[in-house]
Amino acid sequence: MTGLDAILHGGLQGYLLVALLLFAIGLATVLLRRTLLLQFMGVELMLNAVNVTLLAFGRYRGGDAEAMVFYLFVIAVAACEAAIGLALVISLYRHRDTTDSDQAATLKQ
Amino acid sequence: MNKYYWLIPILPLLGCLFNGLLGKRAGKSLTTFVALGVVLGSLLLALSAFFTMKGLPDHRLVLAYGEWMGTGSLSVPFGLVVDPLSGTMMLVVTGIGFLIHLYSVGYMHDEEGYARYFSFLNLFVFFMLTLVLGSTLVLMFVGWEGVGLCSYLLIGYAFDTELASAAGLKAFLANRVGDLGVVIGMMVLFAAFGTLTISDLLTQAGRLAPELGFGVLTFATLMLFMGATGKSAQLPLYLWLPDAMAGPTPVSALIHAATMVTSGIYMICRLAPVFSLTPITLSVVAWVGAATALFAATIGLLQRDIKKVLAYSTVSQLGYMFLGLGASGFAAGFFHVFTHAWFKALLFLGAGSVILGLHHEQDLFKMGGLKAKMPITFWTMLIATLAIIGFPGTSGFASKDEILFLAYLKNPALWLVGLVAACCTAFYMLRLFTLAFLGAPRDAHAHDHAHESPASMTVPLVLLAAGVLVSVVLGWPAAFGGEFHIGTWLAPSLAYGQAHGAQGAHGENGTHQLAWALASVSTLLALGFAAFGYYSYKDGLAVAEARAARFPVLHRILLNKYYVDEGVELYLLRPIRWFGNLLWKLFDVILIDGVGVNLPGALTRVIGDFMALFQTGRVRNYALSMALGAAALLYVFLK
Amino acid sequence: MFILFALITLVAALGMLLQKNVIVAGLCMVASFFGVAGLFVLLANPVAAALQIIVYSGAIMVLVLFVIMMLNSHEEEAAQSSRPVQRWLSLGLVLLFALGSLRLALGSAGLQALASKGGAAPAAMSLQAVGDALFSGHLLGFEVAGLMLLAAMVGAVALTKRNL
Repeated sequence: MTGLDAILHGGLQGYLLVALLLFAIGLATVLLRRTLLLQFMGVELMLNAVNVTLLAFGRYRGGDAEAMVFYLFVIAVAACEAAIGLALVISLYRHRDTTDSDQAATLKQ
Repeated sequence: MNKYYWLIPILPLLGCLFNGLLGKRAGKSLTTFVALGVVLGSLLLALSAFFTMKGLPDHRLVLAYGEWMGTGSLSVPFGLVVDPLSGTMMLVVTGIGFLIHLYSVGYMHDEEGYARYFSFLNLFVFFMLTLVLGSTLVLMFVGWEGVGLCSYLLIGYAFDTELASAAGLKAFLANRVGDLGVVIGMMVLFAAFGTLTISDLLTQAGRLAPELGFGVLTFATLMLFMGATGKSAQLPLYLWLPDAMAGPTPVSALIHAATMVTSGIYMICRLAPVFSLTPITLSVVAWVGAATALFAATIGLLQRDIKKVLAYSTVSQLGYMFLGLGASGFAAGFFHVFTHAWFKALLFLGAGSVILGLHHEQDLFKMGGLKAKMPITFWTMLIATLAIIGFPGTSGFASKDEILFLAYLKNPALWLVGLVAACCTAFYMLRLFTLAFLGAPRDAHAHDHAHESPASMTVPLVLLAAGVLVSVVLGWPAAFGGEFHIGTWLAPSLAYGQAHGAQGAHGENGTHQLAWALASVSTLLALGFAAFGYYSYKDGLAVAEARAARFPVLHRILLNKYYVDEGVELYLLRPIRWFGNLLWKLFDVILIDGVGVNLPGALTRVIGDFMALFQTGRVRNYALSMALGAAALLYVFLK
Repeated sequence: MFILFALITLVAALGMLLQKNVIVAGLCMVASFFGVAGLFVLLANPVAAALQIIVYSGAIMVLVLFVIMMLNSHEEEAAQSSRPVQRWLSLGLVLLFALGSLRLALGSAGLQALASKGGAAPAAMSLQAVGDALFSGHLLGFEVAGLMLLAAMVGAVALTKRNL
């Protein structure tokens, strides 16, 4: 199966390509948007992209269980990150009345 | 009883702690009770210890309290030694100390910081006893430093006046210069003998043949003598003592006349066997002593402040003591310490009584005619004055003529210097006495309000006067039919561990005529000058003023104390200050502040300002930097 | 099927990136997560797909939307981004990343070998194997993850509660 075929018909390269593009979009969200909530969602997208690569490799290595284990760990990390990150957003909003990350630049002053 | 003798120095320390810590709350009567009680207790214990020691066959009571510090070859025990020398000195310190404590009750009654004063005074007694009784040079040095500290504290007792605090500082600094000498001397002695315990030191020194090991020993003793010049106010470090009169008068009497200033002489007596091995040092001691005696006596001739006269007199008398020591008359020198302690304490306390009676008037020219107003002070002062000018039969006569006699044996030039100083002494003492007590009152107002001092002050005066009269018995020279008890009494201490006698043999038949001749000359001259002093001032100041007009240059030089203070300022302090200023400007401001501190600071700031351009405070920018870094790493790893 | 889910994933993600309204962006993300779940099914891993929907589309997304609602903060962003440098550098970086990944996916010989080797065995992921691996080889990691979740929970409470 050549590369382009694989991409079109769901080979390993196809999954990887989707994951990498998803990662790029997540990164772009983090870097380009200023709303903390959106940046936060971008991080989630990037984590998901990693999950896709993990499971794709797991599948193509003959059903490797390690992939699934790390997928679980990533989910755990994502859950923690969601809890803390959202708590921080709330806390910032309380003190600053904003969710714009550029407004939270006190360290600069 | 022996096991309580450690309390002799410790009791005053306890008193000091009590008054220092609780004095403000305790109230005056309790403060007085404690302060006097501890010194009295110390005095009684000291008497007991003294007689215990006297009963021992070798006159030596050693109290050891274990090891203090031991490192390598250095081993310093804690211990007290009561022998004839330290025992006598201990009695002087506690006895006169007690009388002065008693006197202070009256003198300091209305002063601020009553408890503080007594706390310092007790502390002084503690340190002085440590100095006197310490069995090692180290412990002695602790006391030595401690009395200096107390001197500083008590001179600066009125610390809110600039005069007093400056005088305190001066005393401290002058003493520090000398103390450096003591430390060096101690180290050299340790290097030479390997011990700092005085008895071991003397025993080892006694074993040395007289002509051996002199370079090192001469250096060590000269260094120790340098310490003595600081503490005992000899040339060139005498400058602090006249200024020390800024302290309360009882302090001047106790510390700056009777006890502390004699610690230099005491130290040399303590180490007499070592000093007598070094003839060069002895000559230096003798000449410095003689020069100081003359120098200070001439300054004393024209001072107006009653305490300043006595201060210069003290310096001069201390010079005599060193002259005696330098002439190998350790017993004679120490005897003069002993007699001087009594009559000079009496003079100071009498002066204090006058000052207090006149409501803090210290100017002699404003006194006069106090004989009727203050009879007790007058009579006791008369006794002390006669003693100090060496009136035949007084204690001053005995000790001073012994010293002059020994000085003549060493070098007639020394005797001549001492003789001139004695004449000056007779003159200025009679001048002081006449101006204060005789003649017509020069300040009617002060005279009208003058009154005799309270009993707590006059009782010590009388007791001290009795001491002056009695002390002569201890050392009436052999030449005049006495036995010079003190010489035989002190011999075991002064010649400790010595095979050869440290005491020059004197009082033999051949020298009796010489002693008679010398004593007659000096006594006649002294009495002549005393009479001269009396007649110059008995009718007021006119005669003296006329004389001052005839010798204006001499008068001005003496009045300004040879311009020594000014000279020190110009040639010593100013260059030091200039050099300090240079160091300040060059090293502190430019090198340390500039290159050392401000330059790194400025560099950090410049770099920081540059780096701050990247610190936007915006999370996105940081995330971008991180992503760029991660991309770069990815490129490196996946290439 | 693969193309369908891949397109759902990517288009929804792009929508999230470009959407001004935060709520719509959040919903786009949910759609993207669904796409990913579909991809997991295609990868013969239905357990992962289920977890994906439960945890991400369910828990995390609800949390996010809940916060959005609570803060009432779906205001529009200011039109002008403050620093053009940030924008252009970011775009460049993302583009580079995308092109790099494309080239990697198409050109790597190792990947090709791996793909052709394992492509024929679409056996479903065995949960038992996962459990064995998790509780034997990665027990420590498992415990640490549990501790971390607890810490995150405590931290979240501490951060948001006004006065403890």
